[in-house]
Amino acid sequence: MTKYRSGLFKSLIPSHFKRSHLNIVITVLVIIVFGTIPFYIDVDNSFFAYYLFICFCYIALSQGWNLVAGYTGQISLGGHAFFALGAYTTAIIWLNDLTKTWYYFDPVVMVISGLVPVIFAIIIGTPLLSRLRGDYFSFGTLAAAEVLRIVILKGGSFTQGAMGLRLPASSFSSMYPYYWTGFLLAIFATATVYLITRSRIGLALRALNEDETSAASHGVQILFYKIFAFAVSAFLAGVCGSLFAYYLFIVSPLGIMNLNWMFYPILICVLGGNGTIAGPIIGAFVVGAIFSYGDVFVGQIHPMITGILIILVMKFMPTGIMGLKDKIFTRR
Amino acid sequence: MDVITQVVINGILLGTMYGIAAIGLSLIFGTMRIVFIAQGAVIVFFGYLCYWLFSLLGIDPYLSLIIVIPVALLLGTAFYYVLFKEAAALKDRIGSLLIAVGLMFFLENFMTVVWSPNPRAVVTSYGFVVFHLLGLNLTLTRLIGLLLALLATLGVFLFLNKTLIGTAVRATSEDVEASTLMGINPNRVNAVAMAIGIGLSAVAGINLATTYSFDPVYGFDIAIKALVALTLGGIGTMYGALLGGIFIGIIETMGSYYVGAGWAQAIVFAVFLLTLTLRPYGIFGRSSQKA
Repeated sequence: MTKYRSGLFKSLIPSHFKRSHLNIVITVLVIIVFGTIPFYIDVDNSFFAYYLFICFCYIALSQGWNLVAGYTGQISLGGHAFFALGAYTTAIIWLNDLTKTWYYFDPVVMVISGLVPVIFAIIIGTPLLSRLRGDYFSFGTLAAAEVLRIVILKGGSFTQGAMGLRLPASSFSSMYPYYWTGFLLAIFATATVYLITRSRIGLALRALNEDETSAASHGVQILFYKIFAFAVSAFLAGVCGSLFAYYLFIVSPLGIMNLNWMFYPILICVLGGNGTIAGPIIGAFVVGAIFSYGDVFVGQIHPMITGILIILVMKFMPTGIMGLKDKIFTRR
Repeated sequence: MDVITQVVINGILLGTMYGIAAIGLSLIFGTMRIVFIAQGAVIVFFGYLCYWLFSLLGIDPYLSLIIVIPVALLLGTAFYYVLFKEAAALKDRIGSLLIAVGLMFFLENFMTVVWSPNPRAVVTSYGFVVFHLLGLNLTLTRLIGLLLALLATLGVFLFLNKTLIGTAVRATSEDVEASTLMGINPNRVNAVAMAIGIGLSAVAGINLATTYSFDPVYGFDIAIKALVALTLGGIGTMYGALLGGIFIGIIETMGSYYVGAGWAQAIVFAVFLLTLTLRPYGIFGRSSQKA
């Protein structure tokens, strides 16, 4: 906190009202607003509620990616693999009745769907993270994800190949559980990433982002922390995938392993501001709006508009919205 | 023995297409550190251009090189100045990757909407002539494709080593700041590198159009394999990119023959990952190369 208050609003705020108090107030307000929306909007029939649901999913995905890329500096291009693993795990468990529990929206299944990608992340991450740097790591994750896609396609009756697995859509009753679960997931993801970054783990992550050799010489176990961040992002992506499997009722390579699921979190984090907590949230709402409403209004040429938008944003706002806020509110 | 040789030869012929795309990527990446993932979409775009020149104006695909390559060079320069100029200067590489992604979305969707998603191919009257040499079957189109690829590689190699601008490009890909101290305008060099990169993808596009049938979304597949070829060969070495491409081509055809067409892709990526774990900087890469 600087002593020199030069800015529009700072002179209006009493001096004992710290920045962190403001953050808490905003967070509580946001939670209250989104938590009570189902009480005054008919969630079942409203497109706005669908848009919010999609935004919550994007928030969960992006916070995971944010943790890996924003705080540790390793750009992973394999996020869609974790998402798909979560979705397929849920579908396979449901269809084969492996847990013998209540099928629809089973939290145990969702947690398991989060853990399977973690295993994959550890298996893939250990060789990749220990040896590869920078772009080599990125392409390695991309290649690993594509290998997974082929394995799914060739999975035979287990994964039903290109057709995908169809879940009993008759279980669908209303949008309310989706909204609540998505909301809780978004809060959980944000809280997890927030707590991690505030803890010793976050300190270690930031240290190894800045200078790996120096961090190692201070006793930070590089590989462990990198894999930890990677695994957390895999868990979040997996649970999000599981939720989406419950939502779409069909889990196929084309829909679930679509590259969009890899690009959207990246776009959201960059648009919102890399390495911040609020960045992915703001970015998710903006990007969610562009994609959902864009799909409705412009339909077929929707990726073209998206492509142009991405280009424009990257040209003129590469630090994202949070960076823009910094630029506006910082006077030298 | 014959079959294996045939498979390997097919792999080499396939691999040179990936190799050409990879050399273009290598140039663009070397000077600007941009992962130009839209390379595949650009290749398909030129394939379409070649197709329309052939079906609407009746221009032979190989003669259309005369038209397409200058267009490609101009397009590359335009891409640089319009899209990548600011991003190339930033240290953070996510920005340029996302711009390339945006370009890829735009191009693929543009081609799907304007030219319909049906697969196309350029079929010429002489396209199916097959040579039988030493017990091997070699199609004329693939041979010409190989010839084009080799000529293009030779051309780029001569350009980089024998001309002043080429030396400037090499200098910039080694160290941008030092080369500006030598009086090299980085924008001009980057534009040249991108123009050549897009020019090479035009050659690859014509190769693609004459040899395979393609549709608008074919590009991403090629882009990934070109990236894999580039990384396998070692980022920053040009001959490494070409050899990486050929290696990928051979693995793909061998995997396709011995295991089955569906698994060939997975095998390519698995070999890629394996090679990376054994040689983290690619086969020919040196650890001093900035990644």
